[in-house]
Amino acid sequence: MTTTVKPSALTKRKQQLKGLPAATARGMDERLQLADPSVRTLLNKVFPDHWSFLLGEIALWSFVILILTGTFLTLFFEPSMQEVVYDGSYTALRGVEMSAAYASTLDLSFDVRGGLFMRQMHHWAALLFVASIVVHMLRIFFTGAFRKPREINWIIGVLLFWLAFLLGFTGYSLPDDALSGTGLRIAHAIVLAVPVVGTWVAEALFDGPFPGTLIISRFYIIHVFILPLLTAGLIGAHLAIMFKQKHTQWPGPGRTNTNVVGERFFPRYALKQGAFFMMVFAVIALMAGLFQINPVWLFGPYHVAVVSAGSQPDWYVLFLDGSTRLFPAWEIRFSLFNESYTLSPLFWPAVLMPGILTVILLIYPFVEARVRKDHRLHNLLERPRDVPVRTGLGAMGITFFLILTISGANDVLAHAFDISLNAMTWVGRIGLIVLPPIVYWMTHRICLGLQQHDREVLVHGVETGIIRRLPNGRFEEVHQPLAPRGQQLEYTGWVVPKKMNRLGALPPAVRGFFVPIEEPTPPTRPAPELERRSEAEEAGVGGESR
Amino acid sequence: MTTPTTSHREPARSEEAAELDVNDPQLTRFDLVRESARRNGIEIVLYEPRLPAGSRAERRVERSIAGLFLLAGLSATAFLVAYIWWPWEYDAGNDFLSSFYTPALGITLGLSLFAIGAAITVWVKKLMPHEVAIEQRHDGPSNEDDQKLMVATLAGALDDSGIKRRPLLKGALALGLAPLGVVAAAPLIGGLIKNPHAKVEPVGQSHLTFTGYNSELNNGRPVRLVRQDGTPVRPADISVGGQITVFPGIPGGTTNQYPNGPTLLIHLREEHAQELRENLYEMNKGSMAGNFVAYSKICTHAGCPASLYEQQSNRLLCPCHQSQFLITDNARPVFGPAARSLPMLPIAVDDEGFFVATRDYKVPVGPSFWER
Amino acid sequence: MTSETPRRRPRSRGRRRLGASLKLVGALLLAGFVYTAFAPGLAAQDQLSPTAVEGKQLYENNCISCHGSNAQGVEGRGPSLIGVGAAAVEFQVGTGRMPMARQEAQAPQKPPLWEGEELERVVAAISAYIQELGGGPEVPDNLPALLANADPAVGGELYRINCSSCHAYGGGGGPLSSGSDAPSLLETSERHIYAAMLHGPQNMPVFGDNQLTPEEKADIIAYLQTLQSEETDRGGLFDLGRYGPSTEGMAIFLVGIVALTLASLWIAGKS
Repeated sequence: MTTTVKPSALTKRKQQLKGLPAATARGMDERLQLADPSVRTLLNKVFPDHWSFLLGEIALWSFVILILTGTFLTLFFEPSMQEVVYDGSYTALRGVEMSAAYASTLDLSFDVRGGLFMRQMHHWAALLFVASIVVHMLRIFFTGAFRKPREINWIIGVLLFWLAFLLGFTGYSLPDDALSGTGLRIAHAIVLAVPVVGTWVAEALFDGPFPGTLIISRFYIIHVFILPLLTAGLIGAHLAIMFKQKHTQWPGPGRTNTNVVGERFFPRYALKQGAFFMMVFAVIALMAGLFQINPVWLFGPYHVAVVSAGSQPDWYVLFLDGSTRLFPAWEIRFSLFNESYTLSPLFWPAVLMPGILTVILLIYPFVEARVRKDHRLHNLLERPRDVPVRTGLGAMGITFFLILTISGANDVLAHAFDISLNAMTWVGRIGLIVLPPIVYWMTHRICLGLQQHDREVLVHGVETGIIRRLPNGRFEEVHQPLAPRGQQLEYTGWVVPKKMNRLGALPPAVRGFFVPIEEPTPPTRPAPELERRSEAEEAGVGGESR
Repeated sequence: MTTPTTSHREPARSEEAAELDVNDPQLTRFDLVRESARRNGIEIVLYEPRLPAGSRAERRVERSIAGLFLLAGLSATAFLVAYIWWPWEYDAGNDFLSSFYTPALGITLGLSLFAIGAAITVWVKKLMPHEVAIEQRHDGPSNEDDQKLMVATLAGALDDSGIKRRPLLKGALALGLAPLGVVAAAPLIGGLIKNPHAKVEPVGQSHLTFTGYNSELNNGRPVRLVRQDGTPVRPADISVGGQITVFPGIPGGTTNQYPNGPTLLIHLREEHAQELRENLYEMNKGSMAGNFVAYSKICTHAGCPASLYEQQSNRLLCPCHQSQFLITDNARPVFGPAARSLPMLPIAVDDEGFFVATRDYKVPVGPSFWER
Repeated sequence: MTSETPRRRPRSRGRRRLGASLKLVGALLLAGFVYTAFAPGLAAQDQLSPTAVEGKQLYENNCISCHGSNAQGVEGRGPSLIGVGAAAVEFQVGTGRMPMARQEAQAPQKPPLWEGEELERVVAAISAYIQELGGGPEVPDNLPALLANADPAVGGELYRINCSSCHAYGGGGGPLSSGSDAPSLLETSERHIYAAMLHGPQNMPVFGDNQLTPEEKADIIAYLQTLQSEETDRGGLFDLGRYGPSTEGMAIFLVGIVALTLASLWIAGKS
């Protein structure tokens, strides 16, 4: 006779708990069909692997960190221009009249535990955000990833740059300190310089004359709500389109224009993303701890009569500051119907120039497609050397941007290196016109040279560094051929190995970063077959190098 | 040496291969994974462990990952300890330890996060199997049939509404929606628009054209020049070769309420004052008071205070964009992007011996604008 | 009338010559005294204090070639020092700007010709000489007492209105036009700051005691002392030179982007 023991209530509960995850999953699936293949596609999606594909992610993770640190800051910041008397711990400003915005920023820096650390993380993350956007944009440009079908993402990207720019500008103006306030006054003058509607737009923005009492509160809502909403939306669109179109990849073995070779998103790629997020966060935290940034207590509150030598905006605005410093004093005054009108010299460098640059960036994919008469879909990247004109134009653009950025800090350079200030301005003016064409020409030549070297190696083989002397006295270098004798190798847009042990897509033979994981193979004499062949050559023509 | 247990080096399979029966009990988990990818159009082409299971190399990698995680944990704990117990408050003159508060937080947090990132990276790169997968793109335009169906679906809406054959409704739609659209934007934009040329009482001019030195703001009396603390200025207060920043002596004159108020009052040496008197523009004649001259501090380029007074070269340098103005020649710009001289404030000494502005600046102060 | 005048015995030739020469000397001395009584300036030399006499000696060895005798100045080389006062000398010689090595846009700060106690002695001597020669402002001796009562917050406000446009918010200085320069104040002593404000060296304007009272000057110096201390750089181990956003931008590329590029090379490698 078998006795069935009824499971006790405790055992039943234990069994229920053990089965809880599965039960939950089944419940969700009944309601949401989570096991559907369309959901599985997201997990199985293939992503190609290259270091340069991670540059855009620096921007993404910086944005996340900005939101996190920014939320902390909003809990303590007071976006009001109401005048208060400072009564916090920083003695060098005690008793000074200042806006509540500035006072609350000082409180964050001195009277909130870890407040200065959060402020600095936020500001470094902002600089990193824009820096990584620029670096990512350069990568997209130089590898041709903006070509069809990705023009939409390119346009979204350019818009994201400007959103990041505005986020940064409104953000660093919030503390209402003397340095950012000077920048705000210049921004006001730039708006005034817009023809016809300038005074009206400035009046609307500031609710009256400069500075008014509302601009900081307006910047606050723009900085914490309107712009982040737009930015998050565009980032979402950017990523969604990238997901849908699948990432581009470098040419290589097994890679075609119609496939993606790499690894699946889940689990490997997702884990790598998580690791990279940690690293971006780590870099921001380390910089926020080691390097002081934006010490607003040294600047004092904004007052219209106060300014400092060496006043600069954040680095991504420096190119506009530079163009404004370099542009000559060309003001156009004219009268029309008995009224006099003025076109300020600020208009050209600060309003028109960035407008033209943005338009050039936005239409570039379409212009290049038309010039190259190439309207096909491209999913394979191009090596910069293979498109010397585009690479040259890009180098020219970088030079232009760099000269303007450096000129934005020309007084700091003049002071640090004992150079005349006037000379720095002239160097900038002349350099801006003369250097970009020179750089274009140089880059173009270098690209052509690299292309030629690639083809040379494909034909003649890899240099081995082994020198042989022929009986007739000539010296020649032994080359390691890439293809069997008689077979021609075509250039396929893929990296050509230039070093002996890097044939194909294989990583270096000796693995390990600090210490070799395995013993390196001992150097060998040229293969016997090679020796016999070269002997035959010597006997025959003699002097034909491989 | 143990042989690797899971090494799947398969040739690429065509997509038309027969679907596996997922209920087959002989299938391994990896088989199911591969089938899952295959049904999404993804071929796992290579899947092999990087290090032999149980080997010394693998154990060493495991130890290094464990070490990194431990380091992360220790560092995060150090962050918490520093956050709570390290002295952080500012105490002037006694501040050595607390000035390391922020670096302590940054270094511990950064180290912890980096260790986690490194640990995950090493795990993925060294312990997880090396994998190569290939996914087919499906680029290009959609299926032609689908295109036709989509066009039909969208255009069907038009058909349903019948708007094409109802011209009255078309017109009414336009007439009705257009104003409503403007209404939606009206408060946002309209509420912001203000007239910059509106006359401001009691001066009766646009705020772009007057400053705090306008006597209408002082009941018709000339406005005194005052320091930042509000005290008026006598000629004896400024040495030869000295300069002082002055503001309009009206309520709020020293604050940001009067952004074009800051003025530079300079006491020139005799020979420089003489040079300036000889160079005065018609408009500026009579604006000096002895050897004293007052120029607007607000740069005519972009509005920064152009306040770097160079006593010997007689230049006023603006630090923002390096415009330089020659003091002995009506502050006309001699270098840099500024295109107009700094306006000169007509000054005199009143009966009580204090500086006053005999009248407001004769030209608008500050950067140019369209209607100037 | 006597018929016989007693004939004086003729003196010997030697005695005659001696008498003549004595008369000559006497006449010369008389002329000299008369001249001394009426000649200007030379009387002042007698009234110089011993320190000033030493100062005059040093002046004539080091300064006279550009600033002329009696500190009157030399056209095209050096201005007159009449009226610049001890403050100017204390500043210019004490910071090594003077003696200038060559004519240039601005006298740069360099190691003074003397060191330590000798420098103090030299400065005191030349200061006394110039002060006694032409008068002018002097750094007050009660500066430490003034500083003890100074308010750095007031000094900060004065600094930002009057000084930061040339010397920068962080006190690091900045350029002026055509090669001139407003130097960093982060290593300047309190007496030198006071002296510079008082006499306005080269392109710096003059901030006399009528414009900034000694108490206000002390306030500014107290504020500068907070800038000079490390504790105003609480944001990190490095203050990036206090140059502001330009070095911050450099740092984000040279440190942040480089570090993350290396990290991405590690994570993803090359294809």
